[in-house]
Amino acid sequence: MITRFITEVATRFNPFSARAKSARLFLTCLPPSARSSGMNITTQLLPRSSTEPSSLHIKFKDGKEMKVDCEAMGIKSIIEEVDRHSRLLQKAADLSDG
Amino acid sequence: MPPRLRCAAARGLGCTVNTARIAKHSAVLLLPLAPATVSVSRQYATAAAAVSQLSGFRLPDDYVPPTKPPTARPADTRKSQLLRTYTSLLRSTPLILIFQHNNLTAVEWAAVRRELRLALGSIASEGADSAEIASRAQLQVMRTRILDVALKIVEFHDPSSVAPTTVSALTGDRVQVVYNHDLSKAAYKAVRAATKQPDAPPLPESSAYVQIAPLLVGPLAVLTLPAVSPAHLAAALSVLAPSPPAFPAPSKKKSPGYYDPVAQGGFQKLMLVGGRIEDKVFDLEGVKWVGGIDGGLDALRAQLVYLLQSAGLGLTTALEGASKSLWLTMESRRSVLEEEQSGGKEAEKKESS
Repeated sequence: MITRFITEVATRFNPFSARAKSARLFLTCLPPSARSSGMNITTQLLPRSSTEPSSLHIKFKDGKEMKVDCEAMGIKSIIEEVDRHSRLLQKAADLSDG
Repeated sequence: MPPRLRCAAARGLGCTVNTARIAKHSAVLLLPLAPATVSVSRQYATAAAAVSQLSGFRLPDDYVPPTKPPTARPADTRKSQLLRTYTSLLRSTPLILIFQHNNLTAVEWAAVRRELRLALGSIASEGADSAEIASRAQLQVMRTRILDVALKIVEFHDPSSVAPTTVSALTGDRVQVVYNHDLSKAAYKAVRAATKQPDAPPLPESSAYVQIAPLLVGPLAVLTLPAVSPAHLAAALSVLAPSPPAFPAPSKKKSPGYYDPVAQGGFQKLMLVGGRIEDKVFDLEGVKWVGGIDGGLDALRAQLVYLLQSAGLGLTTALEGASKSLWLTMESRRSVLEEEQSGGKEAEKKESS
């Protein structure tokens, strides 16, 4: 996953719900140096009885906010979705650098 | 370049590759030879009669069956060994906290463990158990799928209910053996019957495995404490998952290492998702509740004893009450009657005088 262009990740989920899987796995996809390189990661754990759907908000460097529906999507499709925008930013960055 | 294998494993592999050697020993197996021909040997039969009969059937100590080549993986990380470790851990450990770890580096793990050890070691609670619990507490990374299987085995496999099977010993006798260990076919079948059967009823909500199963996703680490000690749990929570009012993070003055950027990076990546305390599954709030019990189990027991005593006291007073009030009314009536009698007598005396 391209994480260079992500500035903020905010997740909320109830770990006792099976639907929280993709949100939890998304957190494991972030590199070890994510926080030190300026990414803002916040996680809120909901209590066990809560039925609130799990949510995942991602903000990019260009200001785009992405609200991923992680109830229905698996981790692969979430990564694909995030990478789709990251690749655009990568392309722009490569052009401006080169 | 020599193969990058551990010495023992490399030797084992060498044995398998050495076909001449295997052929030689399988010949030993086939032909009952005189005992003098085999020098280094290991014996399987223990009965005296069997030894004389089977003295020719001997395997060399370093014999490797050609169909079971030794694995190159070190023994303590083999899946079977991990499963055994996990089941014994689950059976013996009353307090397990489950964390998700998101890409911690090795130095961060070291810092997290160091701070945890410091926090647990600085608990000033009564008894010699405290130091023992602190020294036995462990934060270890688990293999999630194997932990899942281990949880199933612990819940659904009952070793005492396995029927003995008849096998033929090396001597040819039929003997009854019970194979009820965690890697046995019986354990596999019990787990499969409980979870994988298509026509089986769904597992009840009260089952601990059903409750804990959604937690077993992604990379997991567990903190195991050898006893349910709320003081130690509170110390661990304040380090690993601080929540200011009840479990504040240690102060900067007291433990400067906690605010080390490496350690902080580690703590940010650890996420407490739940716990298993005495075979019951707790979420974050439940774990905090257990950690917040003042004085530990002894205090809870004292509370219970007090409650039972006071209830007994109330019951006796309630039972006594009816008879006591009856006695009181009778007594007051008697005193009234006595007064009347004595009053009457006094009046008679007055009249007579």
